[in-house]
Amino acid sequence: MLLEALDGDETVVFTAAAGSVQVQVEPVGRWFEAYVKRRNRNVSASFQELEEEEESSEESEDEEFQLEECSMLRTLDPKDWKNQDHYAVLGLPHLRYKATQKQIKAAHKAIVLKHHPDKRKAAGEQIVEGDNDYFTCITKAIEILSDPVKRRAFDSVDPTFDNAVPSKGEGKENFFEVFASVFERNARWSSKKHVPKLGTMESSFEEVDNFYSFWYNFDSWREFSYLDEEEKEKAECRDERRWIEKQNRASRAQRKKEEMNRIRTLVDTAYSCDPRIKKFKEEEKARKESEKKAKAEAKKREQEEKERARQAELEAARLAKEKEEEEAKQVAQQAKKEKEIQKKAIKKERQKLRTTCKNWNYFADNEADSVKMMEEVEKLCDRLELTSLQSLNEVLASGSKEDGKAAVENQVQEVNAQLQREREAEVQARQAARSAEQASGGGGAGGKGWNEEDLQLLIKAVNLFPAGTNARWEVIANYMNLHSNSGMKRTAKDVINKAKNLQRLDPLQKDEINKKAFEKFKKEHTSVAPSIDNAVPSERFDASGSDGNAAPWTTEEQKLLEQALKTYPVSTPERWEKIAAAVPGRSKKDCMKRYKELVEMVKAKKAAQEQVAAKSKK
Amino acid sequence: MAAIGVHFGYTCACVAIFKDGRADVVANDAGDRVTPAVVAYRDTEQIVGIAAKQGRVRNAANTVVKVKQVLGRSFDDPETQAHRTETKCQVVNREQKPYYEITAGENPRYVAPEDVAKLIFHKMKETAQSALGSDVNEAVITVPFEFAHTQKRALRDAAEAAGFHVLRLIHEPAAALLAYNIGQDSSSGKSHVLVYKLGGTSLSVTALQVNGGMFRVLSTHTDHSIGGESFTQALAQHLASEFKRYTFRHDVSGNARAMLKLMNGADMAKHSLSTLGSANCFVDSLHDGIDFECNVSRARFELLCSALFNKSIQPIRTLLEKAGLSTSSINKVVLCGGSARIPRLQQMIRDMFPDVELLSSAPTDEVIAVGAALQAGLLVGRDSLVPEEESITVDVSATDILVKELDDSGAEVFTVVLPSGTPLPARRHHIMSGAGKLSSLCLEIYQRLSRNNTTYTIVLRDLQPREENHNIDTVVTMKRDGSVHVSCVEQSTGRSEVITIAAAS
Repeated sequence: MLLEALDGDETVVFTAAAGSVQVQVEPVGRWFEAYVKRRNRNVSASFQELEEEEESSEESEDEEFQLEECSMLRTLDPKDWKNQDHYAVLGLPHLRYKATQKQIKAAHKAIVLKHHPDKRKAAGEQIVEGDNDYFTCITKAIEILSDPVKRRAFDSVDPTFDNAVPSKGEGKENFFEVFASVFERNARWSSKKHVPKLGTMESSFEEVDNFYSFWYNFDSWREFSYLDEEEKEKAECRDERRWIEKQNRASRAQRKKEEMNRIRTLVDTAYSCDPRIKKFKEEEKARKESEKKAKAEAKKREQEEKERARQAELEAARLAKEKEEEEAKQVAQQAKKEKEIQKKAIKKERQKLRTTCKNWNYFADNEADSVKMMEEVEKLCDRLELTSLQSLNEVLASGSKEDGKAAVENQVQEVNAQLQREREAEVQARQAARSAEQASGGGGAGGKGWNEEDLQLLIKAVNLFPAGTNARWEVIANYMNLHSNSGMKRTAKDVINKAKNLQRLDPLQKDEINKKAFEKFKKEHTSVAPSIDNAVPSERFDASGSDGNAAPWTTEEQKLLEQALKTYPVSTPERWEKIAAAVPGRSKKDCMKRYKELVEMVKAKKAAQEQVAAKSKK
Repeated sequence: MAAIGVHFGYTCACVAIFKDGRADVVANDAGDRVTPAVVAYRDTEQIVGIAAKQGRVRNAANTVVKVKQVLGRSFDDPETQAHRTETKCQVVNREQKPYYEITAGENPRYVAPEDVAKLIFHKMKETAQSALGSDVNEAVITVPFEFAHTQKRALRDAAEAAGFHVLRLIHEPAAALLAYNIGQDSSSGKSHVLVYKLGGTSLSVTALQVNGGMFRVLSTHTDHSIGGESFTQALAQHLASEFKRYTFRHDVSGNARAMLKLMNGADMAKHSLSTLGSANCFVDSLHDGIDFECNVSRARFELLCSALFNKSIQPIRTLLEKAGLSTSSINKVVLCGGSARIPRLQQMIRDMFPDVELLSSAPTDEVIAVGAALQAGLLVGRDSLVPEEESITVDVSATDILVKELDDSGAEVFTVVLPSGTPLPARRHHIMSGAGKLSSLCLEIYQRLSRNNTTYTIVLRDLQPREENHNIDTVVTMKRDGSVHVSCVEQSTGRSEVITIAAAS
């Protein structure tokens, strides 16, 4: 029981409400879930309000819902149910495919209450017996509309739906009026929600593009099972059923194809008629054109720029070159001028000297002296530098005759000394050059010329009589004297000196000498025909020229050969064949040649040693 | 959409499925609705459930029990150390984490507690899926209120490793409330609920406030020293002394295997005593081939455990004191945990709360699993789950909104129109009535904090005096920041008065 308000009481607020506090709760229960959901949605209304809203919206739907009873209902023939409009039967012709299940149920309920045979019987109406009563139509209608699959089938062939596709002619004139309604009509078949709208002339490119891509990929739920000619349920056996199924499937596919074609034609027509597409295309074209132009221009500009740059560069290079040349020229001129000036100065100085000398009568009393002096002065003029000439002239100009004479003589002496020095140096240089030539040419100190052949011979001899041979250098000298064709007598000392010299020479030079020797040798033998009568020890090199194995004998082979020579004494028949067989890689001829060489070498050695022995005996 | 709720306890695990709007506990392959959370390792296999528990007599060293005690804890944790001394299975330290050393087979193996939990979860999943006949993985798992983040994490990981898709981890007391559908019918109303859970090894008492359909834990108390096992232990001790007396000499308390056998026997006897007046306990070949048989009456059992019972009831009072509640302010008491079945305990609680409804209609050890399954049913199929937050906070009203009225005798009474702790925003409808002969009425509205002075007054004037009482439709709306909007409409005439009170910042 509320209190009574007194006269003075007013609606008034005394204090502020206490603020909310935050507490931790358990994350369980439906109310918690509702709270979280609400919080995530960021809705400020309380959940009670939310639920109320939901309820009220449902209620409002119920309120709006009204039935428009079909006037033809009573005259309908149940046998012809396939051609009936089930929505009209239930009193929902204004809602059609938009009607909710709830509405359909409610409508059915209302209509059943009114038209049920029992009700009508009670009202004293005449009822047609069995299934022929029009109430069967109502049953059929609810049967089809309450089943989502059947309802979809019925909706697909909605008799009120206009399948027409506007022609191009119509579309061209007032595109938006014609096509907007058509697309809106067809949008109901889309299995996707939120079908894009056709839009207006002002629609952006993205919108238009989106619209056409949607319609070109249109996914329709429309199907034509409702139009099946045969009913599967009526079949008597399985085979028949299968046949019917096949028939139906074929016809459905056909219709579906037609439907797809229809949509396609519609979209194609719209696309071709769309003024926006035309506009976009033109814009695109213009854009491309301008882009192209801009590109070309840019390219051109770039090229020009390049050309200009190149020109400028060339110009600069040319200028620089010219300038350089100019400078060089100037410098040359300058130098020339200077030279000329110097020349002139020197000439002048010389003239001056000559005239002064002449004036002083060449510091001489008699003719001969003066001539000699003149010569000297001329020499001075030739030799002296500008500065010294100048200083000399000054001395001459300032000093008395005696002083001048002394100075000139002094100079003359100096010049003469210099000339002398130069000459000496020249002579020395020439001598040095000669001596150097002699040294490099192998010329010994004793004047005994060593030619190539001798050198060759010496090397051979040194190799033939290795260190340790009895009285080695005498033997070598003897050998040289015996074999040399230069006809020069060499002592042991000479030989030692030369050998030492040779050793000191770098191996490169040695090599060169060897090569030279060989070349010379070769030349001799090619030019002088094969006259091998004089058996020089170097004959073994000759092997290289003739046939047979030219390779020098290795120690291994040498050993084998010696062994073979010992095994097969002279008496052996076909001795050389056998020896050759014992030395692999060598022919009979090779072996024989080698043997001869060896014999030669041994003989030469012996002869040399004997000679030395005989000498020492003497 | 079907979903699974799992209660993974210290001693037992229970699984319930949510299907067709109902949540039911599923029996496992052994026919039990509750599966012991025991895992036995043999050289070639791992056994979960009752077989492992019974086989523990022979295989104690390789049988892991009460794995939940070490789950997600570090090795140095005192709880882990307590568990280590208590359990017969070797616990070793590896990188500061406890591992079980399993010596079955040739080489000792080291098993992480998470892997043990995973096996149990796997068993629960199999049980649920065999009942559902389909691969349902969406599950809600319960955790004790005192579980720390790492423990929750470990539990979740174990459940996910077992193949569950964990929708959410919820606290056990909240699940118990959900199972009894407390506060779910209507979002208005405020009540206090006490959840008394006495499990196998732990006792936990939680006081919750239910307001606007949301649960808020006011205070909680957990005691790991008491539980069903303590009662079994007491009974087993008694049986051992009986055996000693009966055979005159044999003392089995030193024989570990005999004690385990006796424990199993005592456990069964205890279960029977919850429904029967007396139970027969027999153990074949308990000691030296001597069979043991003994009859225990319920009275005997209650006498043996009376001290323990007192100990398990005591925390309720301290908890209520801590929460600032009296026994009369508790509207409901929910019992859960297997040991809450004991008739004597229930009686004691009933004595403590004489006017309070004691909710124990559902099997107490299944309540939490059922609640979890209900929650799973709510969550399954929702794509936008709340991100796992440690604490979920909501705005609630800080104070009661009261209106002063006169009762029949003319005394002033205060009616609560919007209780404190209501989740905001909230709206409450109240139909007030005023004497018909009055031409003007006054609503004096107060906040709890300042009952002495009126917060605001609403005056309705120029009412038509008439025979019947005036019915005033009062709508109190409180926004999230705490500002209040009150509108009063006299229903017959449509005279209205509106007032808005801004919140103090």
